[in-house]
Amino acid sequence: MKTGDILRSFLGLGSSSSGGRTDFTFLFSSFREVLSSHNRAVEKIADMADKLGGDYIFDINYIRPSYEQLRQTVSDAVKRFDAFTDSAHPQLAAAFYRIDNEIVRLVHDAPPASAALVVDLGDISWDMERVVGGKSLHLAEVKNGAGLSVPSGFSATAKACSDFMRYNRLDEAIAQLRSRGATDEENLAALRGMIMQGEFPPPLSDALAAGLSRLSKGCGRPCFLAVRSSAVGEDGEFSFAGQFTSVLQAPAEIDSLKHAYKQVIAGIFTRKAAAYLQRLGLEPWDVRMPVCCLLMVDARSSGVVYTSDPSGQADELVISSAWGLGGPVVEGAVETDHIFVRKAAVPRVVSRRIGIKSSMEKGVSSGGIETVDTPAGTADQPSLEDDEIIRLARQAMTLETYFRRPLDIEWAIDQKGRPFILQARPLKTGKNGEKKKTAAAVLPGINVLMKDKGSVVQRGTAAGKVFLAKGPDGLDLFPRGAVLVARHDSSEFIRVMPYVSAIITDTGSPASHMAALCREFRVPTVINAGDATRLLAPGMEVTVVAGEDGSVSVYEGIERELLEQPSGVSMEDLYEFRRQRYLLRYISPLFLIDPLTDDFRPERCRTLHDILRFIHEKAVMRLVERARSASRRQRAAQLELPVPAGIMAVDMGGGLDIGEGRKKASIGEVASVPLRAVLEGMTHPGVWHADMVSLTAHDFVGSMMRMPDIFSDAEKFTENNFAVITKEYMSLSLRFGYHFTVIDCYCSDRMRNNHLYFRFGGGATDMAKRSRRVDLISFILKEFGFTVMIKGDLITARLANVTMEDMKRILDQMGRLLAYTRQLDAVLHDDSRAELYARRFLKGDYSL
Amino acid sequence: MKHSIMVIDDEKIVGDMAKLSLEQEGFEVETFLSGEPALARLKEKRFDVVVTDLKMRGIDGMEVLRTVRSLYPETKVIMITAFANLDTAIEALRGDVHDFFPKPIKIRELKASIRRALGADVAAT
Repeated sequence: MKTGDILRSFLGLGSSSSGGRTDFTFLFSSFREVLSSHNRAVEKIADMADKLGGDYIFDINYIRPSYEQLRQTVSDAVKRFDAFTDSAHPQLAAAFYRIDNEIVRLVHDAPPASAALVVDLGDISWDMERVVGGKSLHLAEVKNGAGLSVPSGFSATAKACSDFMRYNRLDEAIAQLRSRGATDEENLAALRGMIMQGEFPPPLSDALAAGLSRLSKGCGRPCFLAVRSSAVGEDGEFSFAGQFTSVLQAPAEIDSLKHAYKQVIAGIFTRKAAAYLQRLGLEPWDVRMPVCCLLMVDARSSGVVYTSDPSGQADELVISSAWGLGGPVVEGAVETDHIFVRKAAVPRVVSRRIGIKSSMEKGVSSGGIETVDTPAGTADQPSLEDDEIIRLARQAMTLETYFRRPLDIEWAIDQKGRPFILQARPLKTGKNGEKKKTAAAVLPGINVLMKDKGSVVQRGTAAGKVFLAKGPDGLDLFPRGAVLVARHDSSEFIRVMPYVSAIITDTGSPASHMAALCREFRVPTVINAGDATRLLAPGMEVTVVAGEDGSVSVYEGIERELLEQPSGVSMEDLYEFRRQRYLLRYISPLFLIDPLTDDFRPERCRTLHDILRFIHEKAVMRLVERARSASRRQRAAQLELPVPAGIMAVDMGGGLDIGEGRKKASIGEVASVPLRAVLEGMTHPGVWHADMVSLTAHDFVGSMMRMPDIFSDAEKFTENNFAVITKEYMSLSLRFGYHFTVIDCYCSDRMRNNHLYFRFGGGATDMAKRSRRVDLISFILKEFGFTVMIKGDLITARLANVTMEDMKRILDQMGRLLAYTRQLDAVLHDDSRAELYARRFLKGDYSL
Repeated sequence: MKHSIMVIDDEKIVGDMAKLSLEQEGFEVETFLSGEPALARLKEKRFDVVVTDLKMRGIDGMEVLRTVRSLYPETKVIMITAFANLDTAIEALRGDVHDFFPKPIKIRELKASIRRALGADVAAT
């Protein structure tokens, strides 16, 4: 093995023999094509999300061609990506076709493709409403999304219902009734009778038994089931309250489960349910009902929370509570306790009224429910302890924030005092929202912190405390309901999206991943506000108004007058609106967040946005890898720097401004924007400590200082520091001593294309010092807004969506950091030093 | 008295969305999924503005326009369509309709157009 290859192998650079100029030029132009088709697709997604957001009247004649365009664009991006990566990710195309198939089914009004008959609540994801129905979906979101306790349970899917109907030839009977339009009681009763006589197809029978067995395992006592309808839309845009059948306290054994299941399915075909469905523009014949099976909570107390007092204060929630099961509370059959709680960081009971609860419902040990007198002495006692009230209030507020609207929540507290959420659905206030007051009307006396800066990505009004995000890591401390203020937009913000009131960033792009998320979650969002991070101090209470007309105002304090009251009717209440824009669920949300986790793979893509994110991330990585291994025959020049960095520049086009045949270039002749910025930082006075060199391992210092003579031996420079560049692009690989650094950067005037990828590893000193250096570098990177991942002594960081000017400034700082940290290990004697040196560095003090 | 708006479109969502957003502006809105019942209703009641889809099965937007012209010359007609070839359509209808919208229709613009159609007296409502 040649010396060069041994070193290459040591550095992890792969073989030195690959890649000529033509190859890499081609590769680079393919990369640009991938990036541009990616960008077109992201823009198209943003446009569709906007058009289907409620501000436009649309119909299927808009959706079909629009989706067709989007699909072509994404397909194009997938194909280009596949060619670019030599089919390194064959699963991506499969993921795309899977998602596309779901969307096409929606566009053409076909049932979902999922073949599952039974799905446990814990396995239900946000996009499964058509599979499991609204009630199961909402409970799963309460559990999996908001992290609150719900009873264990599973959903028998819409497909289970279809299979049951077909197996018993009920679809034929239904087709006859449909053709006659017969919804009279006689025909319906006959149909219900057929359902109750029905047999279960063996696969469904097995799936129900398996689901039941999983439930019973965790129960630990004779347990009972609540078997309820979970229609698509139920608990969502429609409550369907009391329209369908629920079976409570069914013994948890297969026969009674099957009987209850049939009762629920038969419940679609009642006069009442049919009439209700028809009022919504649906026919009972079309319903394939998913069924929700839950363990019954052995309830000591139960009740309802309205997270907004429908008759009074929006900032108060109302808890109704009674002894035993919740039926009487929901039906208003008994007197209940009413507790009014002020919604605040620390919820406070405002008033309470204890009802005389003379009777209660409880489960019977042989199955079913009975109404009994409350035990002596308890009728006039509060059915909730003070600490239980506060706990419930907090949970209700969490859910209201999570679902982003006032809710009607059913809950129960078991004999051990544990609260469970049984149901969460939108609270219908039944009145139109008052005309909201304009800012002008309340302006006097309000301090305006920011006005007419930035552009509105998602309009709306919100208030909360300012949280200044330094980088994604700090988000762990993000307080619920705060206003997120950051220098750059970042898709990492999805982690706090359910809790954030509003987002303001200094820079950002309306077509970014974050912007799409904000539209999806309807979080009022302003980008490109310039200096919001300077104007808005952490902890300050502010009200953000992102106006319908694109105007932006930020006021000091929480101005309740400005906050929009939830309106009784909104576009989301329209069945057709919800139905037709349902496809967005497979398009705009982003689930693939962190490229360094195992979940970052094609199989985990749920939306087209995920596909695009995967493409972007992996295309950049691919180019970095290839750039590092392609270096022999390109136009190359040794950089003449005032410091002994020994960097070879390989120009792919427009990166060097030197005459033909010249083999050396000064900083002034580097036309590559990103490389120029790094070099300027690296050669900034005072950052390069030549005197510290003697502190490190002697032999590697020698290799670092050596200026390779490429003209006498073309092999040599490939082992050293090099930069593959164009006018706007740079892939820089450096090795100083044991330290190994890669910077991949695209820096143009198209902010959305800009990215900076940084990797740093290795070190000659002991692990403690290495990890201190890692601490120091990551501290600094986070200050610049990087997403930072640390694995051992390897740092991976990335930054995207920053303006050219910001990128140049950050690259300059990266250059300084590279120079500064070369020999830093030697002085990092204890942990506190890392932060000390980091702070010094940020202040421009580069002394060691 | 509330101004009355008739909306005709064979896509249910168009009527639903238009009704919701226009009612929030204080208008009285009636929606129809095809031209036939709409024309029958027009014979009973005068509307201030008729918003109609151009291409519909059976009675299309052009026929609705002709009927409105003959029954109520002062009623303004706003034409909407999902189909391209907007320029040709606008040319054909120039002067005859108050406004023309391709789908998707920006609701704010539709509202503004209706306010213009009704004149200055609704500017404040």
